[in-house]
Amino acid sequence: MSRTPSLNLLVLAFLLSVAAVSGCSDSAFNTSFVYSAGTLDLMPEAQNGTKDIDGVKALLDKRFGDPQHLEAWLKMPVDFGGTMTTVGEMTTAENGIPVVKLDVEEGKSLPEKAGSIQFVSGACAGETVEISGWNAETGEATLAVVPSQSVASGDICFVDGGTVIQSGRVLYMRHCSHCHGTSGDGNGPTARYLTPKPRDYRNGVFKFTSTNDMSKAAREDVLRVVKYGIPGTYMPSFLLMTDEEHHAIVEYVRFLTLRGEFERKLVAELSSDYSKAALDSRLKDEKKADILKELNEFLADDLKESANSLGDELAEIWATSDSEGALVVPSITRIPDSSESRRRGRELYLSKALNCADCHGIDGAGNGPQTIAFEKNPTTSELYNEPGLHDVWDNLNQPRNLQLGMYRGGRRPIDLFRRIHAGIKGSRMPSFKNTPHEDIWNIVNYILSVPFETEPGGTGIAPSAAAAATVTAPPAN
Amino acid sequence: MATVTPALDAHGHADDHSHGHAHQQSFISKYVFSQDHKIIGIQFLCTTLLMLMVGGALALAVRWQLAFPWQNMPVIGQLFGLFQTEGGQISPEFYTMLFTMHASVMIFLVIIPILAGAFGNFLIPLQIGCDDMAFPILNMLSYWFMWPAMVCFACSFFWAGGTAGPGNGWTSYPLLSDLPQAAPGSGAPQTFWLFGLTLIGVSSMMGSVNYLTTIINMRAPGMTLFRMPLTIWSMFITAILQAFALPVLTAAGFMLVFDRLGTIFPTTIHSVFFIPANIIVNNAEPTVGGGQPLLWQHLFWFYSHPAVYIMLLPAMGMVSDMLSCMCRKPVFGYKPMVYSLAAIAGLGFIVWGHHMFTSGMNPALGMTFMTSTMMIALPSAIKTFNWIGTMWGGNLKFNAVLLNCAGFVAMFIVGGLSGIFMAAVPVDIYFHDTYFIVAHFHYVLFGSTLFGVFGAIQFWFPKMFGREMNDTVQKWHFVLSFIGFNGTFFPMHLLGIAGMPRRYADPYLHGYLSHLLDMNRFMTVSAIIMGLAQFLLLGNFFYSMFRGKKVGRNPWNANGLEWTAPSPPGHGNFDIAPIVYRGPYEYSSPESDALGQDYILQTVPHVAGIKSVAHH
Amino acid sequence: MKKFWALFFFFWPTVAIYACLIAPSRGWWFPGPPMSRTGVQIDGLFYLILIIVTITFVGTQYALGYVLWKGATKEPGSKAVFSHGSHKLEIMWTIVPSFVLVFISLSQLDVLAEIRVISSFPKDAGKPATKVAEVMARQFEWRIRYPKPGTELTTEPSPEDLYYVNELHVPTGKPVVINLRTQDVQHAFFAPQLRVKQDAVPGLVIPVWFDIKEVGEYDLVCAELCGWGHFKMKARIVAQSQGSVDKYLKQLEAEQNEDGTKAESAEE
Repeated sequence: MSRTPSLNLLVLAFLLSVAAVSGCSDSAFNTSFVYSAGTLDLMPEAQNGTKDIDGVKALLDKRFGDPQHLEAWLKMPVDFGGTMTTVGEMTTAENGIPVVKLDVEEGKSLPEKAGSIQFVSGACAGETVEISGWNAETGEATLAVVPSQSVASGDICFVDGGTVIQSGRVLYMRHCSHCHGTSGDGNGPTARYLTPKPRDYRNGVFKFTSTNDMSKAAREDVLRVVKYGIPGTYMPSFLLMTDEEHHAIVEYVRFLTLRGEFERKLVAELSSDYSKAALDSRLKDEKKADILKELNEFLADDLKESANSLGDELAEIWATSDSEGALVVPSITRIPDSSESRRRGRELYLSKALNCADCHGIDGAGNGPQTIAFEKNPTTSELYNEPGLHDVWDNLNQPRNLQLGMYRGGRRPIDLFRRIHAGIKGSRMPSFKNTPHEDIWNIVNYILSVPFETEPGGTGIAPSAAAAATVTAPPAN
Repeated sequence: MATVTPALDAHGHADDHSHGHAHQQSFISKYVFSQDHKIIGIQFLCTTLLMLMVGGALALAVRWQLAFPWQNMPVIGQLFGLFQTEGGQISPEFYTMLFTMHASVMIFLVIIPILAGAFGNFLIPLQIGCDDMAFPILNMLSYWFMWPAMVCFACSFFWAGGTAGPGNGWTSYPLLSDLPQAAPGSGAPQTFWLFGLTLIGVSSMMGSVNYLTTIINMRAPGMTLFRMPLTIWSMFITAILQAFALPVLTAAGFMLVFDRLGTIFPTTIHSVFFIPANIIVNNAEPTVGGGQPLLWQHLFWFYSHPAVYIMLLPAMGMVSDMLSCMCRKPVFGYKPMVYSLAAIAGLGFIVWGHHMFTSGMNPALGMTFMTSTMMIALPSAIKTFNWIGTMWGGNLKFNAVLLNCAGFVAMFIVGGLSGIFMAAVPVDIYFHDTYFIVAHFHYVLFGSTLFGVFGAIQFWFPKMFGREMNDTVQKWHFVLSFIGFNGTFFPMHLLGIAGMPRRYADPYLHGYLSHLLDMNRFMTVSAIIMGLAQFLLLGNFFYSMFRGKKVGRNPWNANGLEWTAPSPPGHGNFDIAPIVYRGPYEYSSPESDALGQDYILQTVPHVAGIKSVAHH
Repeated sequence: MKKFWALFFFFWPTVAIYACLIAPSRGWWFPGPPMSRTGVQIDGLFYLILIIVTITFVGTQYALGYVLWKGATKEPGSKAVFSHGSHKLEIMWTIVPSFVLVFISLSQLDVLAEIRVISSFPKDAGKPATKVAEVMARQFEWRIRYPKPGTELTTEPSPEDLYYVNELHVPTGKPVVINLRTQDVQHAFFAPQLRVKQDAVPGLVIPVWFDIKEVGEYDLVCAELCGWGHFKMKARIVAQSQGSVDKYLKQLEAEQNEDGTKAESAEE
């Protein structure tokens, strides 16, 4: 779904009422999004604003809505679903039934079936009207009810807008929310019992990606995880869902991620001056009323403006991450597996420059010295309570035990290449993007051989020499 | 058969029986920590009826999820803000807790205590003609051990945030139940559950010791074994089952507790009875191992199979008594009935493997267990034919007692017959862990036992409280429960054939099951009707306790010794020490005709000149 | 009123039988015909037992209704029959059911042996059936491991094994064996259309065989409580011709060795 450049409105959104399309008789789904800890740490006036001025919560809700009424912020690189069209003209038949003729862009076609129209601009902006009769060829939609305002030619509307994101939400609530939480905060009811914890999407970090270390996750990466799961964790494979279902879930996850990221960016604008802690220290010198006045000005003028550019930034980076340019592609094909390559890989593994053994251990058992050292939390600069490595969500991470042969991000050579090249985002596995690709391939060959080593640190048995292994002397190492 | 001159203090009192000739008993010692078997029996009855509603509520929650998957669950969804953000949608581990606790509560806190604890306690001394149990203090303790057990079960619900109680099924198979990290409820909640189980086991054990001793030692003069009512036979045999089977469960429970020692004390030391080596669950350290998960299954089912007969036999005995009375005829085939009870119990010890046909145990065992399981259908069939024979040609009193007993027989036929499918190993391969099994055991436990209990409540209510229950209300209760019950559980046979597995929070995820939603909705509606109908029983029970029509000693014109005592019996039970001259089923006999009635109490000596018909 | 109750007990078994009769047409019956060799045998045994059980059900339920009816229509004031039982009847209804039960038992034994006893597993053209894959159940999915095409399945992973999740490809028309294992707690391999079920026990490797008659996709679900995701373990068995399975495995091998430098359409 592309953005039409001519639409230069501040907020372009339309309401998606869940009950309309989902087909699920959920009379009772009254879920709600939660606000992040960062938001709740701001002073209440910053969170809630005033009657006329939007606080963080309102800025967020207006662009993303609540689960029962999702808002589609069209700027965001999410496939909300539906086909964007323009109103050609609206006529009223003799019996009072309105008929709208839709114009569609060159090269695009209207869907065969249609259930509803969402008006996005013009007098009826924000309204969803059911379609009682639909002619895909002529683009004529007979409306079930008369729109509340007049519909003018040139008004932008969506046919079956939001279907993807709505069905994504229903699927997400059914399959994902009990671990990942209604808001994608990784804090559903089941989450507390799981090791590792389910992903909290809200800082926009996904660990197992195919993109370079500066980019976000591509759609493909999230799709891969949904389809194949993450072996060794409680993220199961949902292989048997249909492609449409996969797509809908991926888009909804992106929606939740973008919501979380947008919230973080808003909070970042405010937290240094208007968090509760900041307020406490400022109250020593300043008066509350002054602070409030300053806040309201900031909210009304600056933040309102910058909300849009923050959105632009987000959209930019997420869209770029989905492009070819962000993909990590090795410059050479994989060096064929051989004991020579593995030996070289082992050397690199133990080398000072790469220092893999520091975390992954001399034998690859995931028990390197870093796992018993206390490290500092980068945000608070305090030591973590327990020894070992932590990730950006403050969870304790074990470096991968390479002897098990279980690779969470995928076991293909390219997957391992990408783990090394781009690192594992959010975790302490750093990016080794400056390492020559030849070296990375050697390390990959070594890693794949570790589960089959006859002795730890040995170079393992080459596959074709499996039968010969009993007669050949162990390689000199 | 000798005549015996009654001596007023002939009954064997246990030495520690403080004979309450100290009449000034405080309220606490008279009604709370009572040692009188009748009060204890009523205490059990009231507690188990309360637990019945708790277990039923849990079942309705299960049914709700199956009828309206992932939608807001009424009451529970909003309770204590448990699932607020999810809009009242329960989590999957909560569902596992629901069916686990439903089964645990129903089995351990309802069926077993109501049969042995409530009716066993109340009826045994009265029906065999003595003034109390052999060990009254032990009896009192057996009731009061239920409360810590209930507290333990309650703790397991509410520990750890309330959304994840023990969720490993009432069967609690390792490794799911063994490793604290394997499931949300496998930490402290599971340990509480195990303690609750152990305490209930202790309570049962105390009871069984008491019943065995009382029945063997304290029968009234003239009450030979083959003059005992079938209720007593069934209680006796049940007590033997409990005495021999329970220790195995307790041992297994302790083994599991020791495997999980880290959930009780802050320690990493634990046993590995059921834990094999090198298993990684939830990314914890690999297990040290050396144990066998299958061992638990053998130990558990070694108890739990006799347990299901513990949950059935007393009801069978009581139904025989009630049917005989309501049909005004002797029980058809009294001795075969006794031998069948014994055969069921005996065979019950060698069939436990039929719960494990797909478990990966040695296939040779499959063959042996199949044979013994098939054979256990035989005594059950004999009993069924004998019940029908009892009713044949009888002068039937169509009250709710009879209806409940007829319901018992009808449902037992269904439950017994469905068991044959599961006894056949190849067929069980398909049916194991599907709803077919659920249908089977609900038919025998609820359809049979519980309907028998409904009848028994009404039948012995006059003896307990000196008043009668309203028969019309009981009839309504029967009809609604029966219809609701069959509407809920008969379709489960069909669901099982359709391959719907048990313990699934959302079966409709699978294409081959998605068309079963309508059927499940129908079943949930039936279940709700059935659940609401129980309020009729409770209302009738508690109302009649205080406002029911008063009755005398023998409102049903029945034969048993209990009907010679006042209603309710006072302390010491009998104002005239009973001496037994005949069996308990002499209804419509020539002797009774001679007396101008269609029954003749066990304490009535032989009528001169009338030859009593030879016992069968 | 009495007659009403007697009729009640005639009525409800009739409704039950009716429900069973209309069940297959409503889909409340087996999920399709048995698609494997043992499945056919299991269904046969099921129907055998069903017939016997139905006859017994009808006999006993209507006998119950009959005695209730007799009791309801009895002359008021008449006496009950004074009988303690009948020795003859007891013997008869002990012996006849025994024979029936023993007969049912014996009819199961062959099938049981074939399914469970390794030495009785069917042969594939004279040789033992091929082990096509290891199915490792875990919380909450099915991890499949195939041997490299042309090699045999080893009990522990080999370097060139092929891996997939939640989808098992097997050839039709001949018996094949899978090694069933579990990584964590107990699960059970249940393929309803094939009538196959076997628990996966931690620490054990259990061979499960089946012989699928027709090409198609069959459901695979878990049938032993394994935690909160017990119901989520949705997988499928894809039965294809041997040629198609080989092609699939070759494709799997290629995907598993992807190094990212070929055309990016390989990224699906």
